[in-house]
Amino acid sequence: MTKTFTQNDVIRYIYGEIPDDEKLAFENAMICDTELLDLFHELRNVKNQLNLIKKNPRSHVINNILDYSKSLNLHSVKK
Amino acid sequence: MNSRNLIDSELVSLYKVGNEEAFEELVERHKSRVYTSIYLIVKDKYLAEDILQETYIKAVNTIKCGRYNEEGKFLPWIMRIAHNLSVDHFRKSKRFPVVVLENGSGVLNSLEFSEAPYESTHIQQELNTIIRDLIQQLPDSQKEVLIMRHYMGHSFQEIAENTGVSINTALGRMRYALINLRKQMKKYKIAYDQNFYPK
Repeated sequence: MTKTFTQNDVIRYIYGEIPDDEKLAFENAMICDTELLDLFHELRNVKNQLNLIKKNPRSHVINNILDYSKSLNLHSVKK
Repeated sequence: MNSRNLIDSELVSLYKVGNEEAFEELVERHKSRVYTSIYLIVKDKYLAEDILQETYIKAVNTIKCGRYNEEGKFLPWIMRIAHNLSVDHFRKSKRFPVVVLENGSGVLNSLEFSEAPYESTHIQQELNTIIRDLIQQLPDSQKEVLIMRHYMGHSFQEIAENTGVSINTALGRMRYALINLRKQMKKYKIAYDQNFYPK
């Protein structure tokens, strides 16, 4: 029986949550279904853009965290 | 020892016996993801940094006191701490008046950090600001799923359980979030403009 894939399956595929045994069938379905394929390209593009906006804290914030951790080695940690 | 080749659980094990280099690698490895997730919830750079510190201090205390559950994975665990602290701060902040600019950022956030040369990062910064603003404009239910899946790394099953909806609803919200972002990005002509994204 041929499985019908939905737009939600595109989301699962993009985020690597489609089971291995369905993956090939899904990729084949996309080849035959231009709507699914277009949606895949569009949403994958958005996903890539979202990766670009990751921010980093200033370095002194990280140093504070590391210093705090090291400072606990000098004292016993109270439970 | 090259800590970069170790997986998180190995680093945690080393940290438990006092290896600070292992902890440094854990912080370095996940700082961007944790910080971005917090920032997208609280929308304030400085508050996000405070919460990031609070998050890791909680993690340090838990691990050093021997209360860390080894069966869990480090990233989802620390993301959960960050998420809970962010939501707590968000709730508290609603009780107090906060000066917010038209674009939704706090007054202090209108000041740029001077860590990188302005010219080289200007275009990318503008673009990032637009995308972050577009995320903030999403309906809350879509924004929640987007942050939890894309930045916090929860699976759709976990999101469904944590938010009390079916997995199909969680998937649908994510789909609408991405489609809405796509529409808005087209308005700003962000997509496909390779000048913005040097390869």
